[in-house]
Amino acid sequence: MRDTAVRMVTKPNNNSELKRRLIKNRALYLMILPGFLFFIIFKYIPMGGLVIALQDYQPYLGIRNSPWVGFEHFDRLFSEPMFLTILRNTLLLFFMNMLFYFPVPILLALMLNEVSRGRFKRFIQTLVYIPHFMSWVIIVSISFVMLSMDRGIINELLVMMGFEKINFLMSNEWFRPMYILQIIWREAGWGTIIYLAAMAAIDPGLYEAARMDGASRFRQIWHITLPCIRSVIVVLLILKIGDVLELGFEHIYLLLNSMNREVAEIFDTYVYTAGLRQGQFSYSTAVGFFKSVVGLILVMSVNKLAKKVGEEGIY
Amino acid sequence: MAKKKASTLLAIMTAVAVLTGCGSNESGATNSPSPSNASSSSAKPSETQAAVKTEPFKLTIMANLHTPEVPSDKIEKLLEAATNTELEFQWVPDGTYDEKMNASFATGTLPQAVYVKNQASLIMLRDAIRNEQFWEIGPLLSSYPNLNKLNPEVLKNTSVDGKIYSLYQERPLSRQGIVYRKDWAEKLGLKEPTTVDELYTMLKAFTEKDPDGNGKNDTIGLTDRSDLVYGAFKTISSWYGTPNGWGMQDGKLAPEFMFPAYIETMKYVKKLHQEGLINKDFPVTSKNDQQNLLITGKAGAYIGSMPDVKSLHTKVTEVNPNALLDVHNKITGPDGNFGIWSIPGYGSVVLFPKSAVKNEEELKNILSFYDKLMSPELSNLIYWGVEGEHYTMQDGKVLPTEDTNLTDRETKPYMSIQIGGISSIPGFYTAIDVLPAKAKAEELIIQNNDFLIHDPSAPLDSATYTQDGARLLEMIKDATYKFMLGNIDEAGFQAAVDAWLKQGGTKIIEEFNASYTAAK
Repeated sequence: MRDTAVRMVTKPNNNSELKRRLIKNRALYLMILPGFLFFIIFKYIPMGGLVIALQDYQPYLGIRNSPWVGFEHFDRLFSEPMFLTILRNTLLLFFMNMLFYFPVPILLALMLNEVSRGRFKRFIQTLVYIPHFMSWVIIVSISFVMLSMDRGIINELLVMMGFEKINFLMSNEWFRPMYILQIIWREAGWGTIIYLAAMAAIDPGLYEAARMDGASRFRQIWHITLPCIRSVIVVLLILKIGDVLELGFEHIYLLLNSMNREVAEIFDTYVYTAGLRQGQFSYSTAVGFFKSVVGLILVMSVNKLAKKVGEEGIY
Repeated sequence: MAKKKASTLLAIMTAVAVLTGCGSNESGATNSPSPSNASSSSAKPSETQAAVKTEPFKLTIMANLHTPEVPSDKIEKLLEAATNTELEFQWVPDGTYDEKMNASFATGTLPQAVYVKNQASLIMLRDAIRNEQFWEIGPLLSSYPNLNKLNPEVLKNTSVDGKIYSLYQERPLSRQGIVYRKDWAEKLGLKEPTTVDELYTMLKAFTEKDPDGNGKNDTIGLTDRSDLVYGAFKTISSWYGTPNGWGMQDGKLAPEFMFPAYIETMKYVKKLHQEGLINKDFPVTSKNDQQNLLITGKAGAYIGSMPDVKSLHTKVTEVNPNALLDVHNKITGPDGNFGIWSIPGYGSVVLFPKSAVKNEEELKNILSFYDKLMSPELSNLIYWGVEGEHYTMQDGKVLPTEDTNLTDRETKPYMSIQIGGISSIPGFYTAIDVLPAKAKAEELIIQNNDFLIHDPSAPLDSATYTQDGARLLEMIKDATYKFMLGNIDEAGFQAAVDAWLKQGGTKIIEEFNASYTAAK
C-alpha cells in the first residue's frame, strides 16, 4: 500500500501512467465519485459563503451586491471586551475535556475487556452506551432536577448529611465539573466501542506468551493491550479535537445562565446571542470562521505531534 | 471513453443533486393547498390591472401556521367569494417562520403580502425597509374605512423613520397581573394585596403560616421563572414606577435600569429570595416548572399574564379540587400610584414587498382586500369560523365548539392573518368565559388600559442598539440576577451599568435621543 502511494507521488507528471492507472482502476474511482461529489457540493462549494465575513451582508442584496467592509467584523471581534474571556473559556473547556473525558472510555474499555463472561460483558456494554442516545436537553433537565436548590435530591442529601446546600446550577465554580461529568456520563460508554473493537483484533497468542512468562494482568494490559491500540487512540484523539470546538453549543447553551456566564460563554453561544439572534450574519460568520481557524490549528499541531512520536496521524 | 462516461455520470449526478436540492426547498416553502401553485405565485401586474374589474384579483399571502397541518380550504373559499379574490396561502410553520422569511427575502421570492412574526423580527427588517424594499402605506390608509380604524399610536410603533409600512394584528396592551390561591388567602384571613408591602405580607404568610394545612413547612409564596420581562420582575418594576424599557430623566431618554425604581425592584426581589418566599432557582426555572409549583400546591402566587389563570385553574383543580385561583391587577408602589407596562400593541404585522407588488395599483387592490378583511363579518369569520359549525352565539357572545380538532383543521390557522382586533373592529365578537376568574382577567386587562406605561423607544431607532443592543442588555440582565441573588451589591450593579455605557450604551442613549427629537 505504502509503496504504491510513494510511487504515485514521485511520478505526478507522468500523464500516460496516470491515465493508464485511472482506466485500470475505473471501477474503484467510480465508487469514490459519489463521495467525492458529496464533499465538493455540500462541503466545499458552501465554503464560498465565508466571503460574507468580509462584507456587510444584507439578505435582500445577496452576496453579490452586499458592500465589502474588509476586516471590520474581525476588528470588532478582537476588540470585544468579552473576547479574551470567551477564548479562555473555549480553550479551557477544550483542554479539560481532553484531560478528564478522553481517558475515561479507554479505562472503561480496558475494564470491559478484562471481563471474561461474554453475556455479562455485552449487558454492561449496552448499559453504558445507552445515555449516548439521549439528547442534551434530557440530560441537562435530569441534572437540573437533581441539582436544584428547591428540593433537588443531591441538595436534600447534603442537608441530611449536615452540609450546606450547594448552588450547582448558578455558580462559576461548579460549572466546569458539572459540564465534564455530564459529558462523561453521556459519551464514555459510546466511546468504548471502537477501543473494544481494536482490542478484539489483538492476537491472543501475545497474551498466551505473556502468561507463559508469568506476566500479571496489569503487565499484560500495560505491555500488550495499550501498545496495540495506541494508533487507534491517537487517531481518535485527533478526530476528537476536531469535534470539540464544533459540538459544544447545545450542551453549553442549556447550562448557561446569568450566574455562570463568566466561565460558560464560548464562541458558539456568543455567535448565537451577539450575532444570529440579531440577524448579523456577517459578524456571526467572522466569529465562526475564527473559531474554525483555532480548531484547524489545534488539529494540525496534534497531528504533527502524533507523527513525531511515530504514529500515522490522520493525513 | 471512460472519461466521457465519467463526465456524463458527473453531469447526471449534478443535475440530480440540483433537482433534489430545489425539490426539498420547494416542499418546505409552499405547503399550499391551492391547485394553482405555479401560476399564481406572483400575479403579473398587467394581468391584474386588466382583470381586476371583473375577474378575481390574485393574491398570495405568506403567514405563520400555529397548527401542525395546513387548514382545509373552507374558510379560504368563503373569503374568496366575499372579497372577489383568488387567494393562495403559503403556510409556514411558526417555529421556522423567520428562517423561511429571510430565505425567501434573500432569493427575491416573497409573495405580495408577508406576515412578520413579531416586534423583534420587524426590527431586523428595519434596514431593508429603509432601503425601499417594501411599500409605504401610511398615506393610503385614510381612504379605506376599516383600515383607517387602526390605532395611530400602534401604527406609529410599527413605523420606521416615522413612515408606516405595515398593517398590524392587535394584542391586548397589558395582560400583566397576579394569579394567586384565593383559598389560601381566605384561610389566612388575607385580602387581595393592594400595595407591594401587602403583597410581601401575603407571600410571607403563604410561606410560613402553612396555608395548605398539612403541618409541614413546604410552601413558598411566589413562583417565578428565568424571564425578567414576562416573568414577575418587570411587572413588579412597573408597580414601583419604573419606566417601560426607556423613560424620561432630566428631559432625556434613559434606560429603565438607570432609574432608582429599578434598584428598588431588585431589592424587593432580593428580599423575597433571601427570606425564601420565592423559588430559590428562579433564574434557571422554566415556565413549565414555574407553573408546576403553583399547580402542585407548592407556591401560592404567580405574577405574569392573567389569562394564564384558565389553564392553571384546569390543572390545579386536577391536583386539588378545593383549590381556588383568583386574579388581581392593581398593586401600588411606595408612591401610591399604580402603573403597568404595555407591549407596543401589535403582535404580527403584514408587509408588502416591492419585489412582488409591482405598482401602486396592485398595492391598492391588496389594501382593499385587507380593508374588507377588517370588516366585522370577515374578521369574525377568520377568527371564529362559521356560526353553527365552529361556534354558537349566546347573549351576543361566542361559545366556541369544544371540538378542537375541527377548529384546528378549519379555522385556527386563519386567526394569524387577522388585522386589527377587538378595539379597532366594532362588532368583533368576544368569547364567553365560563370560568369566573378568566372573565375577571379579561376585565382587568381592559382596566389595565387606563394605567399603561408605554415604551417610548418602540418607534425609535438606534444603529448601535440594532447591532449590539441585545448583547449589551445581556450584561444588565446578568447583573440584575446577580444583585437579586446577592452575588453583587449596588456598587457592583453600578459597575455593570458603567460597563454598559462604556461598551456602547452611551451611543445608544445618544442615538435614541436623537431619534426621539427627530420624531417629535
